[in-house]
Amino acid sequence: MPSEYVPGLEGIVAAQTEISLVDGANGQLVYRGYVIADLAEEISFEEVAHLFWYGSLPSRAQLDGLAAQLSSVRTLTPAAMTTLDALPTDSDPMDVLRSVLSVQGVLPHLEKPTVEHAVHATAALPTILAAFHRRRKGLDFVKPRPDLGHAANYLYMLSGKEAAPELVRALNTYLVLLADHGMNASTFTARVIASTDSDLASCVVGAIGALKGPAHGGAPSAVMDQLEQIGTAANAEHWLREARNRKERFMGFGHRVYRTYDPRARILKVMCQRLNPTFYDLASKVEETALAILHEEHPERPQATNVEFYSAGVLQAIGLPKDFFPPTFAVSRVAGWSAHVLEQASHNRLIRPQSEYLGPQPRKPVPLAERG
Amino acid sequence: MTEYSPGLEGVVAAQTAISEVDGANGRLIYRGGYLIEDIAPTISFEETSYLLWNGELPNRSQLDALRQEMTAARKLKDSTRSVITSLEYDTDPMDVLRTAISAQGAAKALQKPTVSEAIALTAVIPTIVAAAHRRRHKRDLVEPRAELSHAANLLWMIDGQEPAKERVHWLDQYLVLLADHGLNASTFTARVVASTGSDLTSCVVGAIAALKGPSHGGATYAARTMLDSIGSLENVEKWLADAHAKHARFPGFGHRVYRTYDPRAKILREMAKTADPKLHQLAAHTEEVALKILHEAHPERPNASNVDFWASVVLTGAGIPKELFTCMFATSRVAGWTAHVLESLADLRIIRPASQWMGPEPGKKPVPLDQR
Repeated sequence: MPSEYVPGLEGIVAAQTEISLVDGANGQLVYRGYVIADLAEEISFEEVAHLFWYGSLPSRAQLDGLAAQLSSVRTLTPAAMTTLDALPTDSDPMDVLRSVLSVQGVLPHLEKPTVEHAVHATAALPTILAAFHRRRKGLDFVKPRPDLGHAANYLYMLSGKEAAPELVRALNTYLVLLADHGMNASTFTARVIASTDSDLASCVVGAIGALKGPAHGGAPSAVMDQLEQIGTAANAEHWLREARNRKERFMGFGHRVYRTYDPRARILKVMCQRLNPTFYDLASKVEETALAILHEEHPERPQATNVEFYSAGVLQAIGLPKDFFPPTFAVSRVAGWSAHVLEQASHNRLIRPQSEYLGPQPRKPVPLAERG
Repeated sequence: MTEYSPGLEGVVAAQTAISEVDGANGRLIYRGGYLIEDIAPTISFEETSYLLWNGELPNRSQLDALRQEMTAARKLKDSTRSVITSLEYDTDPMDVLRTAISAQGAAKALQKPTVSEAIALTAVIPTIVAAAHRRRHKRDLVEPRAELSHAANLLWMIDGQEPAKERVHWLDQYLVLLADHGLNASTFTARVVASTGSDLTSCVVGAIAALKGPSHGGATYAARTMLDSIGSLENVEKWLADAHAKHARFPGFGHRVYRTYDPRAKILREMAKTADPKLHQLAAHTEEVALKILHEAHPERPNASNVDFWASVVLTGAGIPKELFTCMFATSRVAGWTAHVLESLADLRIIRPASQWMGPEPGKKPVPLDQR
């Protein structure tokens, strides 16, 4: 017998995983056994990728091997480069990422997902974004530098200059924090696609499409929009109350899974204070006021700031334009997506749920000439 | 939290009025309550699409208006054309389709899905598929012709010749039969992507990525490849017995939902007799022998040939090269994908299921890099 319909599949177990655990009740995010707070500022994005794909943190030699592998496939194929050049320069960067990765990921024949494919997709995303950024500003493409780490090279390709170590560290921490998060919508999309035995690039392209949605990866940009409208800390209370009267949602608050403060938001908040004090002064005031208003309205609900809220401030400090927030989320999450694809492929079953039919019972069609 | 059901089998993941797969009774119902066998003989793909999008069959003037809107949307953007010609000649046509749809939909600002966009996406897919095919054979692209129907124009753009009426009919009927089928993996992918508030292009790109998998859209191609490899009536018994001894699955047999004969397979089986009498003969004998083998091995299972098996014969009769079979499936199913996305907007809730943690106990401390 089919189960009862649960909107959004809330609470329905759709996969078994060893990659990450979102412990909403305790406000913990766990990567393969490690609590996120223990990893965030200690290890590199490449180490997290190794942890996800191979199941363990790498030794020095393994890390060097993976870093070398990643940097060796940062270059775009000629077809991917032509695709990038063909797209209008005012395109949404998420559409560019979706289209160009779709080309970059083309294989001569269908192959089962491998770590090598995961490395390819992960290495390509920063190059695609940086190339598009340069192109739309009328600047020359900056070739990737194999001697730089993943975060440092992304920033280098964007600006053509080596970024300050502090900014590289901040981006690295952001990439580590966002790299996986249970069965979120884009990761689930990747797993559904993988379940048909499709290739890894198809899974990642589909996941990018899901991440594009404002209810998922689009949120940090929306936080920025809202803060720009509020403008000053003094205006926060007035603006938020007005917004509430118009039944508008506050961006960057609430999460389906966390019943307490999102552990990633806590870390990003501290980083924001250091890196982006102007943003922090406004944002922390808005946060405080928004939480108070939300609590007044629904004292029974756990109200908390989510990861998107302070992500916005960190990504701004790093120098990214607002419309690069969602695709930079993809630069991080691709490590998790591809790990989930590998896990799904290793003990696969086609994901084909059921639907409940709400339409009329069978009847006969009226011939075209007699239809009113 | 519920118990884990691999593949979400039996889990209701959506409420829908677009179609109902009544597996127990071997019925497929399209929106409005029409049984597939009542739709198939007289109703065109354009009418079926209208039905899936709008909930009712069109009258003459509504159908004329839809045809006009579709023919106007058949042309590729210049950027899409450049993207297609940048790809290697031998690129998998499904990769071409995934990429070209992504490029065709690249836009400046996020748009909520609309019926007009559904029409445009449905209209342009044949142009891309035909272009992929022509390029693969290093031939010039053929421009669409406004006075031809959806199916006729597709055959025209593939061959560059006026297609025979019967071929148009067989292809059109195939497109009608495959246009929707409950919450299959690609349709479910489209709904998951839509649930984040993403755009219609992203939903369709994700669905194409899922359809590419051999366990989903690839089965028609696999069925035809099996028939090719069997080759002759005399070889059927030996080939199938050998394959069965090697535990190979027979492509084109079995279905998760139908416990009896798939009603679409029944219609296609009948059409196959005239569409390709010789291949029909081989397929019919193959079906008979395969079912005998399967029944002996698994008497408890409802063994039956499925839609992919007979679609491979009808598409062959319609003159579609087998490399394009999965693309034909997409050409049809896009009507259903987009209808599902539009339906889901009425009550949008992000699809974010739970996962069951199988990894190590949280709280493991990371060993510093140099000590690993």
